[in-house]
Amino acid sequence: MDKAKIKETVLGGIIKNNPTFVLVLGTCPTIAMTTSLSQAFAMGVATTFVLIFSNLFISLLRGLIPDKVRIPCYIVIISTFVTIVRMVMQRFMPDLYGTMRAFIDLIVVNCIILARAESFASCNKPLYAALDGVSVGLGFTGALCLIGIVREFLAGGSFAGIAIPGFPAMSGTGASAFGFIVFGCLMALFNFIIQKLEARKEKMKRASLPLFDGKAEIVKEGTEK
Amino acid sequence: MSGKVRSMIQGVAVLACIALVCGLLLGAVNYFTYVDPLQPTLDRFTSDTGATFPEMTDEDGQEFENGRIVYYARSADGAYDAFLAAGGGGWGGEVQLYVYLQGGVIQKVVLGDNSETLWDTFESDFFDQFTGLDVCSADSFTESDVSTGATASRTIRAVARAIDAVVAYYNANLEGGSNG
Repeated sequence: MDKAKIKETVLGGIIKNNPTFVLVLGTCPTIAMTTSLSQAFAMGVATTFVLIFSNLFISLLRGLIPDKVRIPCYIVIISTFVTIVRMVMQRFMPDLYGTMRAFIDLIVVNCIILARAESFASCNKPLYAALDGVSVGLGFTGALCLIGIVREFLAGGSFAGIAIPGFPAMSGTGASAFGFIVFGCLMALFNFIIQKLEARKEKMKRASLPLFDGKAEIVKEGTEK
Repeated sequence: MSGKVRSMIQGVAVLACIALVCGLLLGAVNYFTYVDPLQPTLDRFTSDTGATFPEMTDEDGQEFENGRIVYYARSADGAYDAFLAAGGGGWGGEVQLYVYLQGGVIQKVVLGDNSETLWDTFESDFFDQFTGLDVCSADSFTESDVSTGATASRTIRAVARAIDAVVAYYNANLEGGSNG
């Protein structure tokens, strides 16, 4: 087991290849399902479940699936797990299912899932594929929750359904157009922080390197002249 | 057999096998998570009236010109007739109403599934005006019978059509109605 690859896979989906803020995939459920934190969280968990199991199955069957029929096979597998999510939600969370019905079915065509199946699960071992599902799912859930918190706070003056005293709802902020504004601002903030952290990491890496031999020679030449 | 045909058959066979396995998996999950599609409506009837509705009396409902009865159930003690009625022609399509009758008189009307957008322009007690309406003595119910200050004419029309479907169904099918 390659520890470096596991670390890269786990962190990749959350930070470097965050599906919402970096790859900008799955924008439709991102805008539609982030009017409240509870909906955003439920959508994220449902997508994570589908991601993990579809990645795992596709990785297990990668040697058997002929190249020509790979996309129909992926869609059959993905839609199976979406249907399982729908059945479970319908049975155990009927109220939540009632509000999310259309978007649960639409997970089948969520480009994050098909993209991970095609680009990662189909060419990696099951363990890595499942880890990628967990990681991308967490990245997606985290991003949705972040947007959901901001949108719910602005549009409803509440956090997770609990009203915050002194913060009245701002009319118009519940609209999808405003959702895009929040999404854009958070995306910019996320990428700004990531870039700053990477620049800092690079700087620290350079500082810890020994003095380059060529440089030393140049300094020597300069003093001789 | 040429290589092209062989690869085609192989592709179809793999896809069929995956579909079969997925079908079996879904069947197993469905066994544990099956929900009777009528149960949520029966639960809603019970929560709105407090009476027990053991089964749906009419699962097929009935279509009328502009509205329809989706389901009809009579409570276990026979006191309530509960309808899930739908009126067409609303702004966002159908408007569903839960309508509860006792002895042919409307006791309660509760808004169900709909895609209308102007409910905030209606009075908070808008649906109370239907309470006390004797469906046996009414031949029909139109939007002119609805009293409201709201100007959402298509929503009003859909609500009136849902009530009209209850009037028509009750009078045509249930005892106590003018045609019953």
